[in-house]
Amino acid sequence: MKKVIEGSQGVAEAVRLARVNVISAYPITPQTHIVETLSGFCSDGTLDARFLKVESEHSALAALIGAASSGVRTFTATSSQGLALMHELLHWASGARLPIVMAEVNRALGPGWNIWTDQTDSLAQRDTGWIQLYCEDGQETLDTTLQAFALAEQVNLPVMVVLDAFFLSHTYEPVDIPEQEAVDRFLPPFAPRFQLDTANPCAFGSMVTPDTYMEMRRSIAAGMEAALELLPEVEERFAGIFGRRWAAIEPVRCDDAEIILVTSGTVTGTCRELIGDLREKGEKVGLLKVKLFRPFPVEAIRRVLAPARKIAVIDRNFSFGASGIFAQEIRAALCNTPGHPPVFGFVAGIGGRDVTKDVLEGIYRQTVESDRPEREDLWIGLKEVPDALEHP
Amino acid sequence: MRLNIPEQDYMYSGHVGCPGCGAAIAMKFFLKAMGEKTVIVLPACCWSIIAGPYPQSTLQVPLIHSAFEAGGAVASGVRAALDTKGDRETVVVTWAGDGGTFDIGFQALSGAVERNEDFIYVCYDNEAYMNTGIQRSSATPYGAWTTTTPGIQWKRGRKKNIVEALAAHRIPYAATASIAFPEDLIRKVKKARETHGSRFLHIYTTCPTGWRMPSEMSVRIARMAVETCIFPLYEVEDGVHYTLNYTPRGFPVNEYLKLQGRFGHLTADDLEQIQEMVNEDWQLLIRKTGEQA
Amino acid sequence: MAKKPDPVPVSLFIPRSYLTTEGNKTGSWRFLRPRYEEKTAPCSAACPAAEDIGKIEMLAAQGLFKDAWEAILRENPFPGICGRVCFHPCEDVCNRGSFDEAVAIHLLERFLANRARRGVFTPDPKRLAPKRQTVAVVGAGPAGLSAAYFLTLLGYRADVFEAADEAGGVLRWGIPLYRLPLAILQEEIRRIEETGVRIQTGNPISQRDINTFIEGHDALFIACGHGRSAQMGVPGEGLPGVQDGLTFLREIREGTISSLGGQAAVIGGGNAAVDVARSIIRLGGSALIVYRRRRRDMPAFGEEIAMALDEGVELRELLAPVAIRDSDGGLVVEVQPMQIAGTDTDGRAHIEPKGKKTEEIRVDRLFTAVGERPGEAWYEPPTEGNGVLRLSHCVLQQRASGPVVYGGDLTNATKSVAHAVASGKEAAMALDTFLAEGIEAVQPRLAACRVGEGPALSMEIYMHGPRSERSFHVVTSDEINTAYFQFDPRVRQPRLLREERVRSFGEVNLRISANLAIREAERCFNCGLCNQCDNCYLFCPDLAVKKDSGPLGRHIDYDYCKGCGVCAVECPRNAMILEEEAYEEGD
Repeated sequence: MKKVIEGSQGVAEAVRLARVNVISAYPITPQTHIVETLSGFCSDGTLDARFLKVESEHSALAALIGAASSGVRTFTATSSQGLALMHELLHWASGARLPIVMAEVNRALGPGWNIWTDQTDSLAQRDTGWIQLYCEDGQETLDTTLQAFALAEQVNLPVMVVLDAFFLSHTYEPVDIPEQEAVDRFLPPFAPRFQLDTANPCAFGSMVTPDTYMEMRRSIAAGMEAALELLPEVEERFAGIFGRRWAAIEPVRCDDAEIILVTSGTVTGTCRELIGDLREKGEKVGLLKVKLFRPFPVEAIRRVLAPARKIAVIDRNFSFGASGIFAQEIRAALCNTPGHPPVFGFVAGIGGRDVTKDVLEGIYRQTVESDRPEREDLWIGLKEVPDALEHP
Repeated sequence: MRLNIPEQDYMYSGHVGCPGCGAAIAMKFFLKAMGEKTVIVLPACCWSIIAGPYPQSTLQVPLIHSAFEAGGAVASGVRAALDTKGDRETVVVTWAGDGGTFDIGFQALSGAVERNEDFIYVCYDNEAYMNTGIQRSSATPYGAWTTTTPGIQWKRGRKKNIVEALAAHRIPYAATASIAFPEDLIRKVKKARETHGSRFLHIYTTCPTGWRMPSEMSVRIARMAVETCIFPLYEVEDGVHYTLNYTPRGFPVNEYLKLQGRFGHLTADDLEQIQEMVNEDWQLLIRKTGEQA
Repeated sequence: MAKKPDPVPVSLFIPRSYLTTEGNKTGSWRFLRPRYEEKTAPCSAACPAAEDIGKIEMLAAQGLFKDAWEAILRENPFPGICGRVCFHPCEDVCNRGSFDEAVAIHLLERFLANRARRGVFTPDPKRLAPKRQTVAVVGAGPAGLSAAYFLTLLGYRADVFEAADEAGGVLRWGIPLYRLPLAILQEEIRRIEETGVRIQTGNPISQRDINTFIEGHDALFIACGHGRSAQMGVPGEGLPGVQDGLTFLREIREGTISSLGGQAAVIGGGNAAVDVARSIIRLGGSALIVYRRRRRDMPAFGEEIAMALDEGVELRELLAPVAIRDSDGGLVVEVQPMQIAGTDTDGRAHIEPKGKKTEEIRVDRLFTAVGERPGEAWYEPPTEGNGVLRLSHCVLQQRASGPVVYGGDLTNATKSVAHAVASGKEAAMALDTFLAEGIEAVQPRLAACRVGEGPALSMEIYMHGPRSERSFHVVTSDEINTAYFQFDPRVRQPRLLREERVRSFGEVNLRISANLAIREAERCFNCGLCNQCDNCYLFCPDLAVKKDSGPLGRHIDYDYCKGCGVCAVECPRNAMILEEEAYEEGD
């Protein structure tokens, strides 16, 4: 049934349809509408789940680690500072191979309290062993959340469904909300491969020596590799039932493109329009949308980008002392391909600054005009800072 | 002679607790009273190691190790999951040391009991971060040596009164217990088991290694802590009803302190001061329990 | 549509346990090793008969009265008698006495004997295989009867010869009925006869007969006792109205005296003097004990003195008789006041006359009880010499014709029933060892049977029973972990009221109920013995104390015991020991 809803509400609907058993969350702007909607569902019985109103995000994820270890389907949502606070337990959740699903609303990190969109928070957690899926619009967000449970439970790894603050979380769009019966066909009840069980008592998470730890970490890596292989099958099954298909990456008019712009999140939507405009003017330009960030779809990206003449990555994030993170990953993906194109790493939209079609066109033009990038990070639209402020 | 102590054990030999470990004795008694329908959440503490390295477990009940500060929260999640599975019989227990309770774990504990989560939180208290090498915690008593309160910098802060802090949350049941008083401990565990909502047990467990005392004195020193009024045995129901369970013989505090190397540096003046502090705390407590002074 | 093949499960190698910790044999950590080691309770070491008192009370506390009674019989054939007349040195050293009050061991012994009568318990003592040798015992007093009993358990045939018409010796003729009823005595003697001892009464033995006996038997035990009263050695001792106290007591038992009026003086401070005085009261007279030292110096048992005074006996201290005169149908006793001046070499208070002025005491009659001597000179044991072995309670003489042992009051410094039993037991052990291994073996063999430091000897140890496993260490009160005991007052001995007591020779001490007995027996610390209180099992951090069906009900699993020692400290009664672990080369 189609309804005009916020991105946040889309997440909540998916969680409801997935028949999650235990939710544990701590409020933080701009995740709040997700948890409030879910609270309402639990309270009026629409969703038969326990909602733990814990006292911090760290405890929220801790509670889900406990719940998932007991063999039930779990969900949380957070953003920015909250995600950062969870950091220790993000590692724990993947190390414990728990299929927890989290909605992560990309928001800038303080200080300087900034509630607007920025990808640094989720990308800073890229080493924690969570699958990361970046969403462009409301429909994709709802669908991806449903798929997240299926994928997580198949590979026993936690999944982060990432959506931009406000531009996605608080934007109303028409979204098709599936019927429960169809979702039940797509997503059967969680069948845990292990759980705390008084009938078969054992200990989870004991001390592990160098003799054994490495193999357990290799197993996590294997899980990630399996996720890369299994995501298309999940999407295929989803498409079969719901008629909609997403993908780890989506190339848009890349086949004969000389320059390919690489985007993620809501910027992608704006960029599609730009590509349309430019192509009409005869520019040989394409767009690569990256949805799956972890595991990073190296092969697929390489195949799309290698033939182009130049790549322009738009990062709404930054890794201090290095560069934009998508750009880093793409450079790494291409470095072993002989004759691969140069990668221009553009940093734009930090802290919620608008990335308009004009900004994107500026990026395109800059790429056209330069043979090679003059530096690893090309910050777009920086304003002058008065000297007195910058050098007090 | 030994009334009301169940025979069945739910723990194996071969664990790596130090000789005379009070925490091992406490777990043994605890599990006797709890039985097999128990899930233990175990944040970082000595018991993280005593429980056995992979692939061993020393317990006959299911156990989930958790991050240090998360004991109260993980238990909340386990409880919620069991509820959604329709299991109201299994009891969820957090088994934490003083570090994971008084300090780093305090937030999660306070949060969980404020929500009146249906679980038992047991703090076995050896009065320092023993697992990481005897560093001070807010459970370390006034006067004690630890590796982070060495020499003349011995701990000059009072031990945090954790039971009082939790009584302020008005939880249904909180109690102190000691390994030297097994019948009392087991009675309290059984009572906690039958109560609903948040229950807290503060168990005094000697640490021969960290307290610099001979291992064979482990139970004797635990008894002396109670008899000197340093660690009184009492219960608090709903945060307001105090019951004293045992009237100590009232030995002078030095009878307890002199047995332990960690107090060896104290002068006569220090001892006098400690006696006054203990007397003061005791008076505060019996005002609440309604016992005669 | 063709069925897709089942997907291969994704790699899932997680830290999830699948073994217990039992594979870690933490016993290898140990440098101290705990062990169950039962030790000696001070009461059993102080008991001349070496009764296994800690064990007896343990059994009684569990309601196993027959077992407890049989435990007494292993070391003492006279529970009913000793439970009434013993001076209970055990209670003086009872470790519970340092905590609150000593256990009422004496009262419990009597209870068990009474219970055996009521329940008609039939004893089944351990006996060795019959031996071909026979032993003659001269004198059926407590020493002789004990010797015969123990010799019978050791496999010998024992023949007892008694001059009087009835057996018992001082038990029958010396101890009044209000302390020891006749029925009790008869029953205990009968029990001894039922083991196979043959007692021939009315059969006095002369010195000449001794040699015959030695030929007819393989060994001889002489325990004729001190049946003759000592003389005071003062003028007027031969006057009518002056009588020897022991004879007086005998006449009461024979029934020739049934009442006695008037005021009598009793000279002496031992049990005989007190018995005479209390008997006079019961016969209707009044009695005045005259003693040359103080009350506290009197050899008589303190309880007896206290009861005598309570019954109206008067006591005048520090007066020594110097002469007795006739006077108006009565007697006048001239007494010299005495004073204490230091201590004699034997530890008793030294007295000397105080001033020259004597006093006079008027009485109707006078009884002497100033000491006893052997009836015949040949009763006296030989002093040191060739073939003479002085043991703690006997003297053994190796004669050409066979071994002769002297015992009982003839050899004991303290003249009590318990010492008599000790004497008879020692004689039996000494003779058995002598006959099997020769004189050189006697002392070492007996030394191995001592309880604690000795001199008490245990027949159970002699027969290699479980008691021989125990350490000689005597448990002291600071070795008891008193945290496990509550203050609990001792049971009071119920007695006849004073008015009832003085009217008859009925037994003064009354019974207690089984309830009270059990409660009193529970007060016993069982020093050095394991009573399966389970502290060790309970407090072991490693669950290394395992219950089993052996005699202690438990054992230590040394695969896991780390030697922390908590068990040994929490054992309330020092029934464990911590020893250094013995390591071999290369460990």
